[in-house]
Amino acid sequence: MPDNWGFVAAAYGLTAVALLIYWRRLAKKEREMEVFKRLTAPRP
Amino acid sequence: MVKALGWLAAASVAAGLVMALGVAPREVTQGNVQRIMYVHVPLILASYLAFVVLAVASLVYLVRRDEAADRVAHASGEVGVMFVGLGIATGSIWGKPTWGTWWTWDARLTSVAILFVMYLGYLLLRGTIEDRERAARYCAVLGIVAALDIPLVHFSVYWWRTLHQPPSLMKPGGFTGSSSILWPLLVNLIAFVLLYAYFVARRVRLLRAEAEAVA
Repeated sequence: MPDNWGFVAAAYGLTAVALLIYWRRLAKKEREMEVFKRLTAPRP
Repeated sequence: MVKALGWLAAASVAAGLVMALGVAPREVTQGNVQRIMYVHVPLILASYLAFVVLAVASLVYLVRRDEAADRVAHASGEVGVMFVGLGIATGSIWGKPTWGTWWTWDARLTSVAILFVMYLGYLLLRGTIEDRERAARYCAVLGIVAALDIPLVHFSVYWWRTLHQPPSLMKPGGFTGSSSILWPLLVNLIAFVLLYAYFVARRVRLLRAEAEAVA
């Protein structure tokens, strides 16, 4: 049977991209939350 | 703590990649395309874990009305849906060269597709109900009911005639293949479980911060 490295690359690539997108989404939401906290914090 | 878990998960994923693409041998009948198994199986098993955690956390929420348990259920559901979606996609990519088709409505594939749709519905339900307490209650019930599909998915290959092969790891008598295949599979399984734990820990922290900001 041929090795079909293209399918292997597609499976690993798709997984890597999806995990990276989710990781970046979490980081973005955390940054937004930090900004929100700074803006709504009581001023001294 | 979360950061350390992240680094541990990243190191495990790197080790898993080396094991899957470098150390593991070329499979005799399928060739190198079988290497997809080292990402497909851990994704599916980690998604089982995610949905079991979701069901237990949902039960805890229904009994104690503990918002922390609801946040764990929410986070676990989100990561579980991503993992099972990727498990289906990688399985489909593996199926094309080995079965000659991207998809077939056999018992394993159909039951896992139902699992995916149910938990996608779980996340949509969370997004559509504005009252947080009511959303948590409804989702907890759905999360527990949906978990009943997990044994159906796992045992479907025994209960019906399917194109999908029997389980590789979680089966009676344990793993029967070569240790040169078992170790890369185990390293990748640990990597994906750590990755799941890392994502859930980060998502729970974010959900708690959002709840505090709203209060």
